[in-house]
Amino acid sequence: MHFVSFTMASLSEEVLLVVKKVRQKKQDGTLYLMAERIAWGPEGKDRFTVSHSYSDIRCQKISPDGKAKVQLQLVLHTGESTTFHFANESTSRKDWEAAKELLQQLLPKFKKKANKELEEKNKMLQEDPVLFQLYKDLVVSQVISAEEFWANRLGGINNGESAACENKQEVGISGAFLADIRPQTDGCNGLRYNLTADIIESIFRTYPAVKQKYKENVPHNLTEKEFWTRFFQSHYFHRDRISTGTQDIFSECARQDEKGLKSLVTQGVKNPMVDLLSLEDKTLDEGYGISSALPSTSHASRTVKESSNFAIIKRFNHHSAMVLAAGSRKRDVPADQASETSSTDGNSRDSDFFQPPLKKVKLQEAIEYEDLQQENRPKTVALNLKKSDRYAHGPVPLQSQQYTTSQDIINSVNYIKHEMSNYKPNLTQVLSSAAASSAIAALSPGGVLMQQVAQQAINQMVPTEIQAELKHLYVAAGELLRHFWTCFPVNTAFLEEKVTKMKSNLERFQITKLRPFQEKIQRQYLSTNLTGHLECMLQAAYSKFHIWQTRRMMRKT
Amino acid sequence: MHGENTQLHAERPQPICRMVFYTFISSEGEISLLVVVVDVNPIWWGQHAQSEPEFTLSKCLDAVMVMGNAHMAMTRTNQLAVIAAHCQDSHFLYPSKRLKGNDDTSSSRDGKYELLSVTNNLIAEEIRDIMSKTELTGNSTDTLLAGSLAKALCYINRISKEVGVAQEIKSRILVIKAADDCALQYMNFMNVIFAAQKQNILIDACVLDSDSGLLQQACDITGGLYLKIPQKVALAQYLLWVFLPDSEQRSLLVLPPPAHVDYRAACFCHRTLIEIGYVCSVCLSIFCNFSPICTTCETAFKIQLPQMVKPKKKKPKLPA
Repeated sequence: MHFVSFTMASLSEEVLLVVKKVRQKKQDGTLYLMAERIAWGPEGKDRFTVSHSYSDIRCQKISPDGKAKVQLQLVLHTGESTTFHFANESTSRKDWEAAKELLQQLLPKFKKKANKELEEKNKMLQEDPVLFQLYKDLVVSQVISAEEFWANRLGGINNGESAACENKQEVGISGAFLADIRPQTDGCNGLRYNLTADIIESIFRTYPAVKQKYKENVPHNLTEKEFWTRFFQSHYFHRDRISTGTQDIFSECARQDEKGLKSLVTQGVKNPMVDLLSLEDKTLDEGYGISSALPSTSHASRTVKESSNFAIIKRFNHHSAMVLAAGSRKRDVPADQASETSSTDGNSRDSDFFQPPLKKVKLQEAIEYEDLQQENRPKTVALNLKKSDRYAHGPVPLQSQQYTTSQDIINSVNYIKHEMSNYKPNLTQVLSSAAASSAIAALSPGGVLMQQVAQQAINQMVPTEIQAELKHLYVAAGELLRHFWTCFPVNTAFLEEKVTKMKSNLERFQITKLRPFQEKIQRQYLSTNLTGHLECMLQAAYSKFHIWQTRRMMRKT
Repeated sequence: MHGENTQLHAERPQPICRMVFYTFISSEGEISLLVVVVDVNPIWWGQHAQSEPEFTLSKCLDAVMVMGNAHMAMTRTNQLAVIAAHCQDSHFLYPSKRLKGNDDTSSSRDGKYELLSVTNNLIAEEIRDIMSKTELTGNSTDTLLAGSLAKALCYINRISKEVGVAQEIKSRILVIKAADDCALQYMNFMNVIFAAQKQNILIDACVLDSDSGLLQQACDITGGLYLKIPQKVALAQYLLWVFLPDSEQRSLLVLPPPAHVDYRAACFCHRTLIEIGYVCSVCLSIFCNFSPICTTCETAFKIQLPQMVKPKKKKPKLPA
């Protein structure tokens, strides 16, 4: 909270609104709304005890209508909030409204583009715990500065913004939006319709005629409330649209809808493969299909019930067509009816543009398969292997070849033939006890064949916290080393500076992070060398730096 | 639970001596198929039989038979197959085509479980047959191991299809290897290994003489066990202890740990194993030394010389 003590006289700001008898923290005072800030001073004093510039205010909160206490709360970006209580008995509500309106107008102008970068950074840190840990390890403990940390990471915030916008999907229109306006009885012979902004928007998107009417009439002729009341009262909205010819602003809309529907019907379906006419109802009740009763289409022969059904079905069809049309229209195209050229909308004027013979295209699509066609791949160079048998060969074993003479071979084969010619399985003499015991001894833990089992896996010997800490150390060291090694080859002065700085960073890292860790594991009597590899990496970096430095010296001398 | 081996007796009420029992509980109706591939290279066996008379091919086959019997005796649904890998061909010892022929000669005189005695006799007959038909061609002295493994895979595939989709069948291959590796079979071997891996078939290896890099790779890739036996005489014990339990049961036992496998590639020019080498980006052939033209596909390589005036040695970051 700023405690700014300006004297009133030195104020050169333009005062937009003064509200007396405003209490803040149980103190009476006056609220001043200026061009760039809002301030409050206690009664009788010259100074402002509370002053906030509009750019600091994140939002304002108001107490609900019914409450006796009329309050206004300002929430700052930092999270603090200040509450003002309008205590003037007679004019409190009016004052409060005036203040609220003024703030509503002023705040958006000053709204600081809440530092997008900061938000981006925060988001990145929140999403990636590894990054967050790295940040904590390196920046919070002052090993490297924040700019260096973010140097390579933030690339293209603006690109990110636009990409995010492009990925946003458009929200479609619910087909049942009219049904959502569930009317409730008011208790005294009236109906209460709940209209939300979403429903209003859906109505405007689906029925551009209504939007047009709205633009024409509100706020010149009718208020918004009156407009919607008329809308719901008119027959246009109701189920049975009987065009009674009353001077209803919506009767024109009804006529437009009729025209649109007719044009839709004449347009027909674009897909030549779909035959809608075959979907007519065919009843077999009269004459069992033999006698042909012509379905009557003239209005006169219809019964009252039939005609109302007819009307409602027509309404449904039209409504669905409008919803689909609105959904396929782009959101940001201004809904100017004259410029609409979408031919799927029944209300559009120009729907006769040239269409290629669709049927032919459809048939073509159905016959041809893309992958059976001749492939038009770019020309490639064939692989020309001269010695392909090289692949078939594995590594030649390194043992010395045992040269056997053919005589040896003949002898061996004869011997084995002789032996096996009299082979009879003798399963009772397969194994002697001595042999079996020695084999068992070799296979038991500690035996000849079981030597490695005694060695425990290293990850079972080291506690998990130490493992986790080691992982963090590796990540941090990796990050620093990456910065270090990317400096080479050192071409520019900036890189020279950077490489020197990185070397000092590495040393600092070693002292502040690595040494304590090593001491810690020593204290815990862990004999394994966990940090040997880290030390090795750091040493390699140091020696490289040293070589570079000596070379530089040699060049200078 | 591990005792000495004796004969396995049948269910007839007769005095039963010490038996070998494995009281593992396997799931109901699950078929376990064991295919044993025995290396019966006559040259190797003939040579070694002369130098070590206490362990001959007969003894080896006896040990295999004991293990086969034990496997079949554990559960009714267990199945066995034995393939002999010769240097001329690979041959099924069991089940063999003679199975359908003779019923009278298979009656056992010692009250053994019928199936076991039939199996043993068949194996003996077949091996006698094979060895008597050995002919010396002189060209090939290497065991046709890759071919035998392929036959084993085909057999397993056939049996899996015969039992149908509803029946679960788990198969593994046990290779008992005597002679040395044949480098010419490398490609076929690797294909067999990957096929087995795809089909979830374990390949175990019991090596009698010298270590085999190919079998080590096979066992590592498919998840089987590789063991080089210190004493050939105790082969039966090793087979029963290490290779008889199937993969589920192995996780409950303490068995020899897996050996370190050398996966280094061999360079195409000298066929020596290398750790760091040069790879042609066109034909992916590996060389140990740099040459401006790849000798396999004859691609010329362009090297960009550093454009800096002062050549600074760019030290690559050490691998983390």
